[in-house]
Amino acid sequence: MAEVRLVDIEKKYGSFLAVPQQSLTIEDGEFLVLLGPSGCGKTTTMRMIAGLEDITAGDIQIAGERVNDKPPKDRDIAMVFQNYGLYPHMTVRQNIEYPLKLRKVNKAERARRVQDTADKVELGTLLDRRPSELSGGQRQRVALARAIVRTPKIFLMDEPLSNLDAKLRVTMRAELKHLHHELGVTTVYVTHDQMEAMTLADRVAVMREGRIVQLDTPKRIYSDPADLFVAGFIGSPSMNLIDGAVQDGRFIAEGMDLPVSLPDRDEVVFGIRPEDLELADGDTPIKGRLYALELTGDSTLVTMRAGKTSVCARGHADFEAPINAPCHLAPKTGARFYLFDRATGQRLDG
Amino acid sequence: MNKYIAYWGERALLVLISVVVLFPIGWMFLTAFKKPRDAYSLSLNFEPTVQNFVTVFSDPWNLGSMVLNSVIVAGATVAIAVPCASLAAYSFSRFRVRGRKFLFFLILSTQFIPAVVILLPFFLMFRSLGLLDTRVALVIVNLAIVTPFVIWMIKGFIDAIPTDSEEAAMIDGASRLRVIKDIVLPMAAPGILTSSIFCFILTWNEFMFALILSRRDAVTLPVGLVSFRTERGDLWELMSAAGVMITVPIFIMALLIQKHFTRGMTAGAVK
Repeated sequence: MAEVRLVDIEKKYGSFLAVPQQSLTIEDGEFLVLLGPSGCGKTTTMRMIAGLEDITAGDIQIAGERVNDKPPKDRDIAMVFQNYGLYPHMTVRQNIEYPLKLRKVNKAERARRVQDTADKVELGTLLDRRPSELSGGQRQRVALARAIVRTPKIFLMDEPLSNLDAKLRVTMRAELKHLHHELGVTTVYVTHDQMEAMTLADRVAVMREGRIVQLDTPKRIYSDPADLFVAGFIGSPSMNLIDGAVQDGRFIAEGMDLPVSLPDRDEVVFGIRPEDLELADGDTPIKGRLYALELTGDSTLVTMRAGKTSVCARGHADFEAPINAPCHLAPKTGARFYLFDRATGQRLDG
Repeated sequence: MNKYIAYWGERALLVLISVVVLFPIGWMFLTAFKKPRDAYSLSLNFEPTVQNFVTVFSDPWNLGSMVLNSVIVAGATVAIAVPCASLAAYSFSRFRVRGRKFLFFLILSTQFIPAVVILLPFFLMFRSLGLLDTRVALVIVNLAIVTPFVIWMIKGFIDAIPTDSEEAAMIDGASRLRVIKDIVLPMAAPGILTSSIFCFILTWNEFMFALILSRRDAVTLPVGLVSFRTERGDLWELMSAAGVMITVPIFIMALLIQKHFTRGMTAGAVK
């Protein structure tokens, strides 16, 4: 177990700046998720920690020791790759055993630890198979077993669940969470799936164009997004973001008229989550015509349109109405809403 | 109707091409078992004999020593070229070094030079080194010919191996060389085997350099064939028997690697 410190690190590919100068500290035993769309630099950041990419500037410290010039093999880390990175010519046993073999662990000890680890991830009966004879989920578990077999200082996981089907992903997510609780090893996890980030992380670092735009607990990232990008990226369905203007203490857009506490200004984006809206009758601040209804099982997603404005609300599962019927929405009592500058994306309220 | 014509037309063309390609080979195999007087006849009605094979292995032809030369030259070339080429191919495939593309082009460009052009420089060089008519000279020449080709071929196979497994091994605690030994070589093994056999075939059949650089001690099989053109005329039945000796090993190898062969070619070509 160890603390990881990235101090003013920077990564350039020729003249292209992939990760601009920034710092990040990952606490001992923490589960930190790097979250962002593809190409935002999250995998590059992880690969720099692993030593698979050189850093252009700055320092990387693991457990207080500067590791900039250390090759991956000497950093005492384990990594799970998106495409598993298994050794196809070796059996499951040999795959899991390989890191121990390289560290010259004796044969009896190796056999014992391989069996223990395999049992932990429910691979005990598949040890003599080759990766090609396994399903995606089983392969993923081999990769995981190979990482945990030698209790490293840090776990790095690069979108480890992205090749699995939706159902298996949920199961494996729970297993990963349990495993982290059990082993308590500092973990850095890269994903573009905000659901994975929210469910797994102690803290989430939301990245955009190489920069960490917000670093906080999942709860705070959800309830208090730093800017327009984070607001739109977190949540499923995502936050309603409506273009409009503030006039005389009211936010005005097509089909919308809401009181807000902000001086007059144009080019404002109003944000409210679908779960903070409810269907109502009469003179509501959000009015339009019903555009679509999507039943998700426990609720119905109601999409309303008024001109260019499109608003989604989470309604009761039993809600039914004809398309194009008049639709009235109102913020629930105590609902949170957010105001952003359209040009810069900065929060304007609170 | 058009489909029907196309179908049979295609087959007729294939048969025609096969006949053109296979006729000389068939003729050689038949002639190898004929007596001298039957050699020029196209008749299939002859009394088969293995005497030609006995003759070519005895004085004055001594095909045995040529077989030995060919095996040693081809074997040594493969043994040196393939490991060197594998390491070079790995480097070209994985390391992003400045000038990498130019260097790779430079190596491949040696293949564009017609052999005849470099024949004389090679001859002069080996004469001054006192290596004329030695197997060492032939191995060196063959290495120069096949190594660029084998590098190119193996690079294609290594390019196709995802880097994930290699990086996983490095993080698991392996050094770069250990990664090559434990991960890359086993994964590229089918490709390397194919390249080895390809390299063997090229060397085994090499004629021009062997003709000029050997006289008596280092004569290889293809060059040995020429000696059957004597003052008494061309000894076709003996030449055919020797030809069979050259062809059969290659024929067996080709059969063994048939499946990998085309894959090897395209794997090298596509990427």
